Amino acid sequence: MPVVIGFEGSANKIGVGIIRDGEVLSNPRRTYITPPGQGFLPGETAKHHRGVILTVLQEALDEAGLKAADIDCVAYTKGPGMGAPLVTVAIVARTVAQLWGKPLLGVNHCIGHIEMGRLITNAQNPTVLYVSGGNTQVIAYSERRYRIFGETIDIAVGNCLDRLARVIKISNDPSPGYNIEQMAKKGNKYIELPYTVKGMDVSFSGILSYIEETLFAMLVEITERAMAHCGSQEVLIVGGVGCNLRLQEMMGVMCKERGARLFATDERFCIDNGVMIAQAGWEMFRSGHVTELSDSWITQRYRTDEVEVTWRD
Amino acid sequence: MPLSIRSLTKHVNMAACKTENGSERKLEFFLKVPFPSEREATIALQSLSPDPEPRKGGITKNLDLSGQTLSVRWTADEARILRVSVSSFLDHLSLVMETMDAFGPPVSQ
Repeated sequence: MPVVIGFEGSANKIGVGIIRDGEVLSNPRRTYITPPGQGFLPGETAKHHRGVILTVLQEALDEAGLKAADIDCVAYTKGPGMGAPLVTVAIVARTVAQLWGKPLLGVNHCIGHIEMGRLITNAQNPTVLYVSGGNTQVIAYSERRYRIFGETIDIAVGNCLDRLARVIKISNDPSPGYNIEQMAKKGNKYIELPYTVKGMDVSFSGILSYIEETLFAMLVEITERAMAHCGSQEVLIVGGVGCNLRLQEMMGVMCKERGARLFATDERFCIDNGVMIAQAGWEMFRSGHVTELSDSWITQRYRTDEVEVTWRD
Repeated sequence: MPLSIRSLTKHVNMAACKTENGSERKLEFFLKVPFPSEREATIALQSLSPDPEPRKGGITKNLDLSGQTLSVRWTADEARILRVSVSSFLDHLSLVMETMDAFGPPVSQ
């Protein structure tokens, strides 16, 4: 019954979570929120994380009712993400792993999202749409790899929405995407704009006046194409943009037409959090992975398909 | 005894000087950080060494361990680049020490 603690801080959220055999014991998180019209920069974000990480770590232990001795493995985000925040979090993870005498595990952030989604929803072998501020990928599992079937050829869909929010100075509290969604609910005028799907991939840059309908329709199309290729009857949406109910609704319509099932998690687990890293770490730890300290360097680029997924058949 | 960056600056030796290095003149910066035990110095070294310098060119940084003392040596082409790297390192070092204060001492091996 391994107990794994996970540290996540690759963007503006810093989270520490503890998991034990599929049970979430704690998952506290803090978000670095910038004023309207401003995005978050690496140096300031790292400073924010440095200021709160030890408090959040203590919270995670207290909420779980555990001591350091009860932890079996320390998982942290190796990448992808922003360099300075990644380093800050990795440093704390390495230090506590050594202080407590526990093995360390570097986790791919995208795989953290996937494994948390699988755990919470119990989807068996879904086609995955991973959409967030930093990533947009359609992923299917095959022979020990999470294969990237389609992705953005430029910026992530969440990045596009965040930049739109910045231009029209929408509040970043609790997140720009959430506030766009609330405003869009009240809208009733649909404006036809260029729709950029290239085969399995999508493009979002240069067209920052997109509204939700067009962006999400593009994502539904490439997800459907991947499902057709894989003969898949399940869709799992993960990543912060996955909280968006309109995206879930549109994906649901496509799934219903195909007789497929749609899975999504709520904001606790779609948005970056520590326990998703712990969960992926738990899977990896059980199948014998460990990260040596000298190999524990963080990396801003880390593709989902670089990891050998030894814990699935 | 709790560590703090303030108590350690008394013991930290810093030197910045221009020296000749072959045909180029580079800036050098030395930092020595004493720890209460060799174990803690080792932990700090292992936490601070794995990540590559964000800036590829114009700066080198070498960490070394001698007993209870962690030493760091930088060489840089420009003072501006040196300042950023040293400043960053001190923030990270501070974080390691705060983590050790809050979640140490190290378990017996």
